[in-house]
Amino acid sequence: MDPAPQSAPKQPNSGPPDLTAALHRLWLQFLPQIEDRAAVLESAAAALAHNKLSAEQRQAAHAAAHKLAGTLGTFGLAEGTSLAREAELLYAAESELTQTAATRLAEVAHQLRIMLESRK
Amino acid sequence: MSHRILIIDDEDDIREVAALSLETVAGWEVAVASSGAQGLARAIEYQPDAILLDVMMPGMDGPTTFRELRKNPVTAHIPVLLLTAKVQSSDQRRFADLGVNAILFKPFDPLTLSTQMADVLGW
Repeated sequence: MDPAPQSAPKQPNSGPPDLTAALHRLWLQFLPQIEDRAAVLESAAAALAHNKLSAEQRQAAHAAAHKLAGTLGTFGLAEGTSLAREAELLYAAESELTQTAATRLAEVAHQLRIMLESRK
Repeated sequence: MSHRILIIDDEDDIREVAALSLETVAGWEVAVASSGAQGLARAIEYQPDAILLDVMMPGMDGPTTFRELRKNPVTAHIPVLLLTAKVQSSDQRRFADLGVNAILFKPFDPLTLSTQMADVLGW
């Protein structure tokens, strides 16, 4: 059988009451972990703004962004996935991060934080 | 018709949402494993109808786990669907070349995950 790529969800979940309620419970259960990942992005963006981003910190930010990209849309935050994916690609670049990239990464981290706060 | 699915993913949030989705929406039986090594052992004893396998895991990653599953006659026949947050076409080509049955992308929709799986598996 040929591999068959499937598209990601574009709308927030709105399923049967049982599933919706259970998903909300899982969201609350995993929110601290998700916030920790967002904090990693904020720290990295702050370090980058001061030209003090270490290779380890950049790698951690890349991993956090990758995990957020995979998780947020599953909980109905498709825009969160887009933002996290943008950060993932910027941190994955082999070149030095430019001032433009640094500014954008700070914006992305900030927008993700606002999004998470609004879902509490 | 009920099916038995093994989910192998190191991220507990993804694992739990996928399990909830397949159990609640499709009524399938689900077993989980949090690493490639654990997944190999679980696949042997559980004999699932399909495996949902994460790509990026510490230690034994998804592609390595897939190759080990195919090497073992006890698990070689089990359909494997890769689950990945990698969306770049170069990654997709690399995964497709492995010979997996399908590639599903994170984020997935919990409402339709079982339908996507059933479609690609011909269930």
